[in-house]
Amino acid sequence: MINDKVSQKIVDIIQNFARKHSLWVLAYGTGCGAIEIPPTMTSRYDAERLGVRGAATPRQADVLLITGYLTTKTLKRVIRVYEQMQDPKYVIGFGSCTINGGMYYDSYNTIKALDRYLPVDVYINGCMPRPEAVLEGFAKLQELIQAGKADGARKYKENLDWYRANQKEVIPVWRMPEYNW
Amino acid sequence: MEERKKEIIQTITDHFKDAVSNPYDGNRVDFTIPKQQIPAILFYLKDEMGFNHLSHISCIDWLEDKQFELVYILWSYTDRVKVFVHTRVDREQPVMDNIDMIWRQANTYEREIREMYGIRFAGLEAPEEFLLEDWQGPPPMRRDFDTYAYAMKTFWDRQEARSNAQDVRETIRRRTGEELPDFAKKYSR
Ligand code: SF4
Repeated sequence: MINDKVSQKIVDIIQNFARKHSLWVLAYGTGCGAIEIPPTMTSRYDAERLGVRGAATPRQADVLLITGYLTTKTLKRVIRVYEQMQDPKYVIGFGSCTINGGMYYDSYNTIKALDRYLPVDVYINGCMPRPEAVLEGFAKLQELIQAGKADGARKYKENLDWYRANQKEVIPVWRMPEYNW
Repeated sequence: MEERKKEIIQTITDHFKDAVSNPYDGNRVDFTIPKQQIPAILFYLKDEMGFNHLSHISCIDWLEDKQFELVYILWSYTDRVKVFVHTRVDREQPVMDNIDMIWRQANTYEREIREMYGIRFAGLEAPEEFLLEDWQGPPPMRRDFDTYAYAMKTFWDRQEARSNAQDVRETIRRRTGEELPDFAKKYSR
């Protein structure tokens, strides 16, 4: 099809432009931060202006929004969910719990740095971040997508060994398929 | 209400010689009783005195006394009085009677206590695992379980992110060149 570099670049620009304006979000709302999702999505802040909408299942979603702490139990599910999502896919870590453990830093079953286990494209800090911050995070993600820099999925594929080793460190009993997308 | 409370205390202490009543204000009646008599007293309270509702079973770890304390919290809809029944269990051999034939929901509380404190309930029919999945450490709610040390050992920690934490004003100042008020300067590291 297209193999010269210039036309590939043009296609990329158009593709990225289209992608950034249609972000289907799978909100993984286990942490307390999930309560900020409804106001972000509804009329007051209206994330749909930016093309951000909720998706029903992982296979239909582009963005995995992880709102807060993940226990080892939920981390398993998140890994399955992430691996079921189809390219292009992005991860947003939402709240300080995903960054450094937040106020759950000394909890016996929550992980402390999400980017050790999944490739995070954008972090939104705050405990919990307000809808303005969430929208800023989405705007940042759009910027990265347009620039072609939101390549977490590629990073994950290329460094699967590293991610898997980290995941298995905290999930001692691994009852999931090794590679499932 | 005070009359009814006195009545309850009188009836229970008459029937259960080992029950000790602890004084409390309000609509609360409070007993301490040896652990062997727990099913008997709960049966009695439920069937004879109308305490139909089991609100909660809670557990306290008395590490210094080498004991666990179990508290059964009951509520009567007709009298609008709550009854607390306390009992102590040995910490080295923590075994307790199962009471889920009295209230079915006790099953859930007992499973949780079994998982979080490691107290065995004789005759409890339920899978070992409750909330914690594939848990391999000691029961996490015991006071001699050091959660901080366990978390540091088990989960990778982003050290710098905590120790270099900046006052948010400092971050804003560096981004926007905004002048910091004097009082805020002493917080920025
Ligand atoms: S960052 Fe704060 S609001 Fe978000 S999950 Fe953690 S504790 Fe809850």
